[in-house]
Amino acid sequence: MNVVLSIAKTTTGEAIRRRVLMVILLIGLVLLVVAPGMEALSARQSTTVLRSLTLGVIQLTSAVIAIVLTVYLIPNEIERRTIYTILSKPVQRWQFLVGKYLGAVAALALMVAMMTATMLIVFSVVGKLTLGSDMVDLAKVPLMFFVQMSLLAAVAVFFSTFVSPIVNFFLSGGVYLLGSVFSSLFEVLSNNKELPAMVQAGARLVHSIVPNFQMFNVQNSAINAGPVIQNEQLYYLGSFGYALVYVMILLIAGILVFDRREV
Amino acid sequence: MARAHRGKLYAALAVAVVAAAGINGAVYPLWKKNFAPKTADYSGLSPDQLLFAFAGFRELIAGILWVRADSYFSEGNYDAILPIVRLVTLLDPHQIDVYATGMWHIGYNFTDEGSRSDRRYIPTALALGMEGAKNNDYTYEMFYEVGWMWFHKIDDFYENSVSWMEKANTYDDMIPARRNILNNCYQRNGEVDKALDYAYGLLDKAEKNMKNDREFSARQNRDTIEGNLDNLLVRMSQRGYFAKGAPDRNLGIYDTDNPFDVGFSARVTVVSPKVIVVQGTWGVQPVGTRIRFILRDANFPNALPAGMKWNQGTQVELTPPKDQTFLQDQLFVRNQSFNRKIDMSRDLTMYPFVDDKYLIEFYYNPRSAAIHIQDKFGWSGEGMADKNFLNQEIRPAQRVIYTTLSLTRDQILRRGEWETKVPDAQTKNYRGIKAPSTGSDLITVPGLRGPSSAVEPGDIPQAGGMAGTGEGGG
Repeated sequence: MNVVLSIAKTTTGEAIRRRVLMVILLIGLVLLVVAPGMEALSARQSTTVLRSLTLGVIQLTSAVIAIVLTVYLIPNEIERRTIYTILSKPVQRWQFLVGKYLGAVAALALMVAMMTATMLIVFSVVGKLTLGSDMVDLAKVPLMFFVQMSLLAAVAVFFSTFVSPIVNFFLSGGVYLLGSVFSSLFEVLSNNKELPAMVQAGARLVHSIVPNFQMFNVQNSAINAGPVIQNEQLYYLGSFGYALVYVMILLIAGILVFDRREV
Repeated sequence: MARAHRGKLYAALAVAVVAAAGINGAVYPLWKKNFAPKTADYSGLSPDQLLFAFAGFRELIAGILWVRADSYFSEGNYDAILPIVRLVTLLDPHQIDVYATGMWHIGYNFTDEGSRSDRRYIPTALALGMEGAKNNDYTYEMFYEVGWMWFHKIDDFYENSVSWMEKANTYDDMIPARRNILNNCYQRNGEVDKALDYAYGLLDKAEKNMKNDREFSARQNRDTIEGNLDNLLVRMSQRGYFAKGAPDRNLGIYDTDNPFDVGFSARVTVVSPKVIVVQGTWGVQPVGTRIRFILRDANFPNALPAGMKWNQGTQVELTPPKDQTFLQDQLFVRNQSFNRKIDMSRDLTMYPFVDDKYLIEFYYNPRSAAIHIQDKFGWSGEGMADKNFLNQEIRPAQRVIYTTLSLTRDQILRRGEWETKVPDAQTKNYRGIKAPSTGSDLITVPGLRGPSSAVEPGDIPQAGGMAGTGEGGG
């Protein structure tokens, strides 16, 4: 376990020092700070627009960070040949892969936490947030974004075991879009009785295989006033469990692929 | 890695896949119930907007689009607003302002040269409002807006305004002053006892509220409710409502006794292509009568007597059928007659005249009458009569005035044999009107020495006590 943690710690340190990630994070933070300027878009629903904007910025920035951070994890080590040094020590390949993933997730957690803190401070300063339950409810959204992006990072780690970073970038991005924006589309197609059976089956297959990223989008209840959330604890426990199991699937698959790969 | 380990990993992978599918099946319905956006349609967005919408900025994009729609409002470019309204409500189904404004815009703002709204849009406006209510069922607002459209714009089939206002009233966030509207809805729906009970209930609440809330508005609301209640009690008493409920207390003749014959007659003349003149008689002296006039395709889909099936479901269809004609107007009565020119020649999309046959409907319902006239006619027309056109069938439990005339497309377009002949259609009892010599805006008030000089004696039936004596003024 110490081996895994050592690799994770090193990976986190490397991630924090990467300029490209810092630039992406900085852009996200600047957007969060200037977001209150968009209030003019809707006089009555300014809070709605502000919350939509800030949470959207956090989600988008986190997604880009998660992909950029992880697509280079394995290829960089192979390209710089540092992997030989690591694997020549008593380090198993699975330990290397899991350590890399955990390190990336820790870096991601740090960056999402920074953006969340900035958002809460901005909201407090402009008077759109009251301390207490309102703050907790709002903070739950980035927490779920973090879980979502951890899953996305696992997808990118899995792909990084056998494709180049550029291909991985588009593959992971595509999977994210399929599992979030287009998930409802595939669900509708799979339930549409008027479509040919083949199309329905294909849509059902895609909907089942691709990770269900949209299940972690809980911003709707934080942006708009609405009915009381039902079975909230069950939902959060279940979605954490789903993310954990799916991350395990991707890491096991990644280990199996990486184990057979010649480096 | 040893083969045995690989086998274990494959087994673990299989178990995990099954577990993930099971958890997804259990949790996804919870997510859909609690967190899923109610509607999201990205068609119609430009690529940059699409990118933002994909990235989770739906509410932001909706806000930007609504700002753009606002500029179109300023320019009077109403057609351009419609798709934006639809797009905004699809992107962000919680924009109550957009639902309410869009509904009003669709229902009221599409007008012809004569400022008559295009009634073919009303089902669309209602559909949008109902969708807004469904998507925002945590607040009273859209229920109130739909109820108001039934009450004010459609101004008929009041049971619908009652049901929507009743639903709005179940919400605690409803503004107190808006709760008073339900009282009027009950009255127009002929549920006077309910209106009375409701008014007393409102007064009780307002008085309790006033003790806790010393603001001026609380006192003002209480006084308004009391004033409305007083008026209702006086009207019920004058119209014999209490007496009829307890015959032993019947003190004599009430305002609604001896139904007054309104002496309705009408004539429609096509003076030039798509331009008609509607004239007729209505023997009610007090000013304030508006007779509903409809000219529509004889085969207009969803047509009902003196209207149409306004609630046509929840499908928001932004483009009304281009091949259907439905004109609705009000004929304002002055000096016991009406005389109105209606020009439909400038609005080709609103009045396409594709059908071969057209039906003209005249309709008067005391429930939507001015209060001072309703004092004589009663809530359900019990004080109103007409020996030719009294109808008790098209609106259950109501006495309304209703008749129809017919014209053909050739007549309306003045084509063929009608190019030189002036087409007209009239009721059998029509014997002409005498226009006031000093201008149509002059109201002739009859003196004690005889009937008004503005009206030909004999043209207007004088039965009952309403014309000339002011007896029906309430």
